[in-house]
Amino acid sequence: MKSTLDVDLETASRTANGGIVLLLGLFAAAGHYASFYFHFLTVGCLLLVLVNLYWRHFQTSHTLLANFGFLAQIRYLVESVGPEFRQYLYSSDTEERPFNRVDRAQVYRMAKGVDSYSAFGTLLDYDSTEIKIRNSFYPLPKSQLKPFDVAVGASRGLATTYHITRPLMISAMSFGALGERAVRSLARGAKLAGATMNTGEGGYPKHHLAEGCDLIFQMGTAKFGVRTEDGLLDDAKLAALSALPAVKMIEIKLSQGAKPGKGGLLPKEKITKEISELRGVPMGKDVLSPCHHIECTDAASTVAFIGRVQAVSGLPTGIKFCLGRADELRDLIQEMKHQQILPDFITIDGGEGGTGAAPKSFMDQLGLPLFEALPIVHKMLIEAGVREQVVIFAAGKLISAGKQLQAMTLGADVVYSARGFLLALGCIQALECNSNTCPVGITTHEAHLQHGLDIEDKSRRVANYIEAIHHEHQELLGATGLTSASDLTELNIYLPPHATAQPTPIEAS
Amino acid sequence: MKHSKLTYAAQGIAATILFMASGMKFFGDPASIAVFEQLEMEPVGRFLIAFIEMAAALLLISPFAVAGAALAFSVMCGAIIAHATRLGFVVNEDSGLLAGLLFVVLICSCFVLFSRRKEIPLVADTF
Repeated sequence: MKSTLDVDLETASRTANGGIVLLLGLFAAAGHYASFYFHFLTVGCLLLVLVNLYWRHFQTSHTLLANFGFLAQIRYLVESVGPEFRQYLYSSDTEERPFNRVDRAQVYRMAKGVDSYSAFGTLLDYDSTEIKIRNSFYPLPKSQLKPFDVAVGASRGLATTYHITRPLMISAMSFGALGERAVRSLARGAKLAGATMNTGEGGYPKHHLAEGCDLIFQMGTAKFGVRTEDGLLDDAKLAALSALPAVKMIEIKLSQGAKPGKGGLLPKEKITKEISELRGVPMGKDVLSPCHHIECTDAASTVAFIGRVQAVSGLPTGIKFCLGRADELRDLIQEMKHQQILPDFITIDGGEGGTGAAPKSFMDQLGLPLFEALPIVHKMLIEAGVREQVVIFAAGKLISAGKQLQAMTLGADVVYSARGFLLALGCIQALECNSNTCPVGITTHEAHLQHGLDIEDKSRRVANYIEAIHHEHQELLGATGLTSASDLTELNIYLPPHATAQPTPIEAS
Repeated sequence: MKHSKLTYAAQGIAATILFMASGMKFFGDPASIAVFEQLEMEPVGRFLIAFIEMAAALLLISPFAVAGAALAFSVMCGAIIAHATRLGFVVNEDSGLLAGLLFVVLICSCFVLFSRRKEIPLVADTF
């Protein structure tokens, strides 16, 4: 049934399309008979008529424009500003994705050194459908807690054993993905707070090294920075890089949460002279990362490759993956035991992650979520009797201390965050990370966009965020009645009936 | 975005002619004054058009060349109207030189608009 307020868009557009032709005639007549100045309007109208003619009768890719003409363009224009309107005006504080306003505001507050106290109750739906940390009858004050200390490589008796003293580390983001100022701000912030930073697979970590923080060098499937011309591992380059005092660990990336099973593409337009040198790739040619390490085709060759990297680098060495099939992981762990080569750490990247640009179907539909994958890996390592020798790092939307502690109850020893740190740097979630147009100068190489990103100020915010997270970890840990994060178990978490991360037997997974 | 040398040449030719035309109008060239007197726009219209031509020329040699081309195209449309309705295509016994240059700028600006159509703000993906 039509109401009196209905707008007949078809009639409106027909009138508008005819109306601009009529206007053109009127302005032309006025220009001719009244004043030549009217021809300014004639010209404007003429342009609109010409463009409208093209939209209606010549282009074929936009049906609405072909059917209704220039009025339909209003729809595209309004649609194009939809994300901004929703973000600023219409979306509630808990609606947006991947991080809602409440989540983002929490990180901003921590980064600016503002306390997180709020009043009149939570803004979340606090009910039995959410994962919660279980508090204890007998909480402990902060003074009774043990200092956070996770040793990586100790089980192999390495002289280079690395001690992680902050529960949150900066996850893998390369120079390339991030601009120079963002990398420098993160690295300086990590140095200030005594935290560890992953280099991402950006090749030789020149800008990370410039600030002197402790680094985990990530080796992606293309092995930027440590590759031969054929894309194989260059032992000499790896040994030289591992000898750098700032490089404390090596992470072999088997896959990542944003796009498990797919290698990245570095378009030739983005390969500047500096990036070409740092990554060890030629200029003027697209670089397609393989979907797996050439050396790793099955469990045996993968474990052998881990062993080779451990031997060449002499550093604690681990692997990173987004878990898919649990049976493949079981085979891999069995092969590790068989060859007596264990990674010093395993990084589990949740399928819900990350900053890496990826095809939407890979981002949305591939890989297990972190809270599902964590207990599987944790229990499988226990079953194999090697859990004590392998440290578990976890990554995937862990930007708050509460979520991080939940991950720890499910098996993580240390947690990573990438996007949390981007928010600390001032990210406004414009979702333009892959287009070199980041408005806050973080994921861009454009000098004018990086102009406003002050390294000194932002590094302080990064350090504040790390320290605030550490402080909240201790507060929450005290509330559980435990003295150390390593004592957290599934007893400390409430898993609602329909939540992921159910403590199901591994066989069922 | 990379463009062919032809696009840059078209920008250069259009910008050069527009600079010259704009200068003549600004400095009160008698031929220009005569034209704008015929259009009953002297002197305000002459300075206004000179300013627009200068802006178009500067934009054509800047990263915003597509905006310069759109502006140049608009001014040339206005000029064609003037020549067609009041001035005629031979002005002050110039054997059609002015009108000829007009069409050169028009063709150049059309070519630049076409080559750089993907840079037009808001509606680029409809072209």
